[in-house]
Amino acid sequence: MEQWIEFAKGPLFAFTFLIMILGLARHFIIQFYSIFISKGKQLKNVSWRKIFSDMFSWVVPVKHLIKGTRIFSTVSFIFHVAAILVSVFFIDHIVLWQNYLGIDLPSIGRALADILTLVVIGCILVLIACRIFVRRQREMRRKSDYVLLIMVLLPFLFGFLAGHPAINPFPWNTAMLIHILSGEALFVVIPFTKLSHIVLYFFDRLSVVHWQLKPGAGDKVAKALFGEEAKV
Amino acid sequence: MAEPLLKEETGIYKKKYPYYIENPVVENRVAQFLEAFAAVLNYTDYKPLLDSYCITNTKCNRCAVACPVYVTTQDSRDIPCYKTNLLLEIYKRYFTFGGWFRSRFLTKSFELTEEIIDEMLDLFYRCTACRRCTNECPLGVDHGLITRLGRYILSLIGIVPKALQVSVREQLEGKTHNTSQVPKNALLNTLEFLAEEIEETLGIKVEFPCDKVNREYVFFCAVSDYLLEPDTLMGNAAVLYAAGDWDKWTIGSCNYDGINYGLFYSDWHLENIIKQLVDEVERLNGKNILIGECGHASRSAHDFVPVFGGKKTYPVMNFMEYTLDCLRKGKIKLNPDIITQKVTYHDPCNIARSGWIVNQPREILKSFVKNFVEMEPNGQYNYCCGGGGGLVSIDEIHEFRMEVGGYVKAKQIEQTGAEIIVSPCANCKKQLRELVEYYNLPCKVVGLHDLILEAIEIPGGKTSEERKKMKEEMEIM
Repeated sequence: MEQWIEFAKGPLFAFTFLIMILGLARHFIIQFYSIFISKGKQLKNVSWRKIFSDMFSWVVPVKHLIKGTRIFSTVSFIFHVAAILVSVFFIDHIVLWQNYLGIDLPSIGRALADILTLVVIGCILVLIACRIFVRRQREMRRKSDYVLLIMVLLPFLFGFLAGHPAINPFPWNTAMLIHILSGEALFVVIPFTKLSHIVLYFFDRLSVVHWQLKPGAGDKVAKALFGEEAKV
Repeated sequence: MAEPLLKEETGIYKKKYPYYIENPVVENRVAQFLEAFAAVLNYTDYKPLLDSYCITNTKCNRCAVACPVYVTTQDSRDIPCYKTNLLLEIYKRYFTFGGWFRSRFLTKSFELTEEIIDEMLDLFYRCTACRRCTNECPLGVDHGLITRLGRYILSLIGIVPKALQVSVREQLEGKTHNTSQVPKNALLNTLEFLAEEIEETLGIKVEFPCDKVNREYVFFCAVSDYLLEPDTLMGNAAVLYAAGDWDKWTIGSCNYDGINYGLFYSDWHLENIIKQLVDEVERLNGKNILIGECGHASRSAHDFVPVFGGKKTYPVMNFMEYTLDCLRKGKIKLNPDIITQKVTYHDPCNIARSGWIVNQPREILKSFVKNFVEMEPNGQYNYCCGGGGGLVSIDEIHEFRMEVGGYVKAKQIEQTGAEIIVSPCANCKKQLRELVEYYNLPCKVVGLHDLILEAIEIPGGKTSEERKKMKEEMEIM
């Protein structure tokens, strides 16, 4: 079991992390090129100040707590903050940053990490409940919505169990291996699923840029479909 | 106020509202739709946007709460994300590697069918394209843009409401080059009539400038204003006269229509109508484009003259911006004792949703209206009147606009208790007037410059007090 854990912590971690980075980089490059290079001069018509203030308003979405979405929005926000803090700044993860990338990050203490992990687990359960019980969310649910939420839940749940032998029904090795493998499974699926909003969020919010339609394209489409004499 | 009259006991409102389509139904719409979609993807740059939305669209359906149509119907098909997903599924299946792979190797794969075309045909025109959902989407998915893209592709296989198609055809290919088929002579007669009315009401003699070259502003309004909104136009004229800018503006006789239905359903038409507008400004050697009280005309000119206008772009100004500038500089005076009724303001989505024109009309109104109340919510987060996205022009879906699209707005209006609703948009005014009549709301709908016409002080003309007295005497008679 020890060997498996070492393998998961070592080469498998590096490999899956690389898949995530390359996958997200692909999204970034395609979007960056199509928006900032292809649009070229048209970008001068865009109000970047407004775009950034809009982005910021969603980073701390106090203004967007509208009636009917307050529980979902608040829980989503807390979930994101807690999940990022724990996964990046937890003291045992800091070692990974140092070992692989040589980055020296500050860490949060174990006590705070424990609280935040429980918050993440609680939030995921609420989000699953929203999918089940809120009618408008239920109407468009897909299996993948639940699968992804559970995939996000697993590393936090088993990380917590591994750190608390008193309440852990599994052997430490098993809990730790599941923690690591489920985290790595998440790395692999991130670029191929909606979790890629880690990067694409910033591009999705640039719809103002996409409204800068391509000059001449309408005529070309009409000619391609109806010939030179295209009529309204 | 009563519940929507046709709401079913289940609380879900599922009635469909077909619209007239002029073109004959094409054979094999599925193949034609895909061919049109492929052509659009080939020549435009929607692809990266669709790629991104396909992956990130979480379907959290938070947008549903923001949509006045869904709030009224509670029908899941009216959730903005549902509509967006229709087009995204087609894109994913037919234009991405993943879609091809799934269809090739997995048994359960999405296929476009005639039924889905029917559903899109119905749902994309159940949306008022107000883009309130976009403001409330955590990821910023622009459902308005996707709905518009869906409408664009449908229009390329001949599926477009007849009302919109006929108007655009007249504007681009007709003799009058405007949506209401107002010929040049009729325009000139209207301008003469307006000048007479101004002389009678304001006590000043003016001649409307037409085809004057080298002017500061070339004026475009919704052409229907020349037929239906004389008070708005006289209000515009009064501001220009009082500010001393009468010799700085002109109307062009070759193109005097600011309407651009291309904004609602076609890149092709949007661009050509903009080019037509820019050509007129170029012909007259004007310096700025001044758009009257019309939300979508303002947005289409403001946002798309820089995009489609060619090398020489002209600054675009909404008339309210011009009026506010005059007010701040002290060039016009508005009497605060004339309008005594309770007044509220409806934000037209096309100018307010982006935050462009939100405070300007309020600053003007608060300067001379003592009893001003806000609707809740308002500004960037306002609710659509229910006639947006071109729906107001489609007479056959009047019931939809009243019962579904405009129900939330009607409730909002009722809650303000206002006697006057100010809405600086030709489409909103038409829809709101019909709403007020349909729900028996005790208020009237006017343009911002209709009120300004009453309160403005005209140098050398009748005072606002005199005009108010005159109006009251006329009403008694």
